[in-house]
Amino acid sequence: MALIMENCGLGAPEQKLYRLVLQSEMARTAQPGQFLHIRVAEAPAPLLRRPLSIAAIDAAGGQITVYYRQKGLGTELLARKRPGETLDALGPLGRGFTIPATGALLLVAGGIGVFPLLTLGEAALRRGLACTLLWGGENSAFFAAAAPIAAAIPCRLATVDGSLGTKGTVMALLSPYLAPAAENEAGLRLAACGPYPMLRALVGPVQARRLPLEVSLEATMACGLGACLGCTVSGRNGAGARVMRRVCADGPVFPAEEVDWA
Amino acid sequence: MTDLRVKLGPLSLRNPVLTASGTYGFGEEYAPYCPTRLLGAVVVKGLTPRPRLGNPPPRLAETPAGLLNAVGLENPGLEEFLRSYLPRLRALDTAVIVNIAGFSVADYALLARALSGQAGVAALEVNISCPNVAHGGLAFGADPAAAEEVLRAVREATPLPVIAKLSPNVTDIQAMARAAERGGADIISLINTLLGLAIDIHSRRPLLGNITGGLSGPAVKPVALRMVYQVYEAVQLPLIGMGGISTWEDAVEFMLAGAGAVAVGTANFTNPGAPVDILRGLESYCAANGFARVTDMVGLAHN
Repeated sequence: MALIMENCGLGAPEQKLYRLVLQSEMARTAQPGQFLHIRVAEAPAPLLRRPLSIAAIDAAGGQITVYYRQKGLGTELLARKRPGETLDALGPLGRGFTIPATGALLLVAGGIGVFPLLTLGEAALRRGLACTLLWGGENSAFFAAAAPIAAAIPCRLATVDGSLGTKGTVMALLSPYLAPAAENEAGLRLAACGPYPMLRALVGPVQARRLPLEVSLEATMACGLGACLGCTVSGRNGAGARVMRRVCADGPVFPAEEVDWA
Repeated sequence: MTDLRVKLGPLSLRNPVLTASGTYGFGEEYAPYCPTRLLGAVVVKGLTPRPRLGNPPPRLAETPAGLLNAVGLENPGLEEFLRSYLPRLRALDTAVIVNIAGFSVADYALLARALSGQAGVAALEVNISCPNVAHGGLAFGADPAAAEEVLRAVREATPLPVIAKLSPNVTDIQAMARAAERGGADIISLINTLLGLAIDIHSRRPLLGNITGGLSGPAVKPVALRMVYQVYEAVQLPLIGMGGISTWEDAVEFMLAGAGAVAVGTANFTNPGAPVDILRGLESYCAANGFARVTDMVGLAHN
């Protein structure tokens, strides 16, 4: 159980973006890239919990922040909850990001895929690493609401309609940051989260340069604990054989080479 | 103090609350939320002779008060199960029931033989009802003669208690139950999931990778309860009731309908403490109604 400290909209209401701050023991052990599995209703509909990525961790203060976009009934019910109410949240769950000790970290986000990258970026900056966020979104209205949540991290923005930053997807921002193959003197690592087509487009050029890349995947989940095998994706083991990987328990963060991108 | 112990034919359990196969992994995943020592038994994920990757994603679709799944019997296969999983299952402080599934009568017999000599297996649940794999599973569960043949082959291959898990995707559930009884089953469990479909209105395609899936959750409870009630009247065998059980009141209904034990499945996804909550509720219901034994309520709805 977690106590709701804050649950409020971000920016223009039509963006349907929310910040949820929870007071919980979970903050003591949470790691960047892990998620909370939140029960949004007492009634049998919606039936399943909603997995939400952890976006900020205040271990000393015992607080966890998540962001979400209201999309269906589950997140609508969540948005109605008020500070002072308790929330049934399991967590922290899943396998999170590697936090590099040295080098440089490039975060690549598509839309609300930025959420799990925020806490990773802040952890990297605290360790003194160079960290940049490349972030693509629909338009300037999205960033008017969302950009403040990433204020602590140096950012480059792209919009599909060109209304802010570079015109195009986040891929339009990428090339200056990728060193030529076999040269990675800066010790560059990448972490990404966003729509599946974006991640797939990213994997090719990154792997061609042999740069380490971790991706955070999204999936509909039932148990969230690795038991039901409902959220699996097709992956590859060390020997290259096809295996099924559970997004909830083996991920949600995977080294890019463990995912079958075909 | 209510006596919570149950005896289902040859199978004795500490209490009547089990976990349903496929929802509970291999018993360890929920341990932080639901201590296994409080469970009557853990029924593990369906096991096939060879490893299976299962169906392509997406495998889940949420529906009103329900869940469609099409996992497709992803499992490590017999050899890996015996090597890596069974030793860990033995360490659980509860009875372990292994759910077996096959694509031929010989598959079922092979699994039953291989598991018979193994310490730590309390019973076999014969899955003749998986709706999510082609050429098997449900094929045996929709035809009484085929079901009887599979149960007979398992019966001849093992001294372990044999549970026949029935599919609701049939016209006459009583005929299926009688076939399982003739084949030599000791216990009948029901129901498996109901075959269903969800369509993505944006892509205009079926939502699940497997096209169809099995429906579970509160939405199926009245169907499951009706079938338990009917099967109780058709056979002499003890029953394990399941299908949408989420609360202790649901469990009481199933026991009144004739289930000697119940299994909790999809409810674990919403509330990983559901089996314990249900057990506590059964205990209170017995105390409030003067039942010295939890089994005193079994079948009372038929009086």
